[in-house]
Amino acid sequence: MIRIFPSLRFTSLLSAAKPLCSVACSSSPVREPPQRASFAEAKSAPASNSLSITPKSPLFLRTPSHATPLSEVWKWHDWAKDLASSVEVSSSNSEYSLDSAILLRELKWLIEDSIVDDQLVIHKREIANDSESVKLRASLEELYDLWRQRIEKRRPFQYVVGCEHWRDLVLCVEEGVLIPRPETELIVDMVEELVTRDDWFKNGVWADLGTGSGAIAIGVAKVLGGRGRVIATDLSPVAIAVAGNNVQRYSLQGMIEVREGSWFEPLKDVEGKLVGLVSNPPYIPSDDIPGLQAEVGRHEPKLALDGGIDGTDSLIQLCHGASRMLKRGGFFAFETNGEKQSKMIVDYMTSDHQNSFSDLKIVSDFAGIGRFVTGFRL
Amino acid sequence: MAIMAVAALFHARFPIFLRRSVPSPSYPSSVTYYRRTVISDGFSTRLRSIIRYSSSDAGGEGGSGNSDAGGVYDSGTVVSEVQSPNYLKFTDEELMKQCRFETFRVSGPGGQHRNKRDSAVRIKHLPTGIVAQAVEDRSQHKNRASALNRLRTLLAIKVRNKVDLAAYSPPPELLQILPPKSTIRTSSGSQIGPNNAKFVPGMQALLDVISASDGSIADSAKVLGLSTGGLSRLILSHDGLRMAVNSMRADKGMKPLK
Repeated sequence: MIRIFPSLRFTSLLSAAKPLCSVACSSSPVREPPQRASFAEAKSAPASNSLSITPKSPLFLRTPSHATPLSEVWKWHDWAKDLASSVEVSSSNSEYSLDSAILLRELKWLIEDSIVDDQLVIHKREIANDSESVKLRASLEELYDLWRQRIEKRRPFQYVVGCEHWRDLVLCVEEGVLIPRPETELIVDMVEELVTRDDWFKNGVWADLGTGSGAIAIGVAKVLGGRGRVIATDLSPVAIAVAGNNVQRYSLQGMIEVREGSWFEPLKDVEGKLVGLVSNPPYIPSDDIPGLQAEVGRHEPKLALDGGIDGTDSLIQLCHGASRMLKRGGFFAFETNGEKQSKMIVDYMTSDHQNSFSDLKIVSDFAGIGRFVTGFRL
Repeated sequence: MAIMAVAALFHARFPIFLRRSVPSPSYPSSVTYYRRTVISDGFSTRLRSIIRYSSSDAGGEGGSGNSDAGGVYDSGTVVSEVQSPNYLKFTDEELMKQCRFETFRVSGPGGQHRNKRDSAVRIKHLPTGIVAQAVEDRSQHKNRASALNRLRTLLAIKVRNKVDLAAYSPPPELLQILPPKSTIRTSSGSQIGPNNAKFVPGMQALLDVISASDGSIADSAKVLGLSTGGLSRLILSHDGLRMAVNSMRADKGMKPLK
């Protein structure tokens, strides 16, 4: 079954003309109701009279207002450990099934994010007095619920805690926004390598298309070191809200502008002016979507994953745009599904856009898969 | 186990693009690019392989608090060199140049297809063969930093420098980890504790002294201007240090410190 996220359902009713500011200005750390409520029917969404989407507050940023006896927390911890240890590895595809060792690590991170004195819970059990209490950032009831969601519903860990650690950043994420992948960190590394060698790239305008959580845009803005600008676009209003929030958390509003719209559509004013263009577009072939790992297929937005019949629908659009949008000498880097797709894109760019690009290259990710296509506008 | 460990074979090279403005009468602003390939053991190590492997292969994280001691005794052998360079004085960047990242390839397409929190980093220090890894952190970045810190601890523990006790003059990094009571302490600066990164080079120098004293705590304590009890307490303050001293003593048939 495919889950439709309440937030998406809700936002589809919104006017597309929502001013950007309403998103970017929602800085106050709004205490949200327990996660469970977000899974309830969209009809009852209390914010339906407001036009702005308020990004969810991740666990680690919430106020530790729930004083709870240690003994109760230990009881929860034991229960959660047992549940994690009891998952069975299905022999058919262990790559896509739950793994106890990874779950136990995630449990430790969940505790780090939700309990102020987490050491007391994890390591110091023998010396602590069980009549003591600790401060939690969520009620124990919610923690029971969150861990059940993780294991029984295969809800991605990053949605459970509301954040993902990516490069040296901690990015807020929630349903409706793709969780940034470790492979994608390399795009920022490539940009960093480039700009440290050539100042020309530091001072210009960059664009990150389909920014999602804003990960690449924020990573790039940081390596530009205060000069230059980044425009981050996304079609999804949830992504716009989440990216805007992340940009603000890193105080990069002065460098990154988040614009809502499809691919190059919100970039008409910078046509032919970009020094750099980066994107991790949806690239999974449609036929592969039903077979995805449960955490991905059931919970992450299809909009950010499904790349059409052979997965290259968006990539082809990006190639077209790259020749139009980039300045001479401008750099681009796109993430792809792997070797085969990377070759297709390079072939396409050399045949259909000959004399537009130079130094087309396939760059491998850390697993040795030809993951990125990079090059320069002639 | 569906995971194929394809280790150490990932010699990706990342090209560096250099942009160069070429003065040309017809195209005043024409730009050409040429490619330069940087050998992967060089500066661009960060861009290369970062290994990942299943957590079950990575060994337990151990619930114990001291993760720095993790994996210390994996590869057993103590490197003994006549006079090796002091690797601990190298910057992170310099140390990285001597290291190889090993890649364990996880089967499957990766990228958007996959959401598994098992990113791990493993680095091998080529001159000594010492391997350090980290898997417990939440991002590749942090795992890389943890692995490098761990490598420094391992280098301190495993690489012994020859010391002439008769003409011994303690290096500053050793002095600063000694308790204030030590009579050889020259400055009154505060003592650097075992949780401080600066403890590691001092620990290496301390182990050199204990090694030169054939594991004798009493003899080493004299050299360091400490009481035997004072030195024992210092040794017991760091798990890796204690284990290194005890394995040294075990080799000489001496009882372990507790």
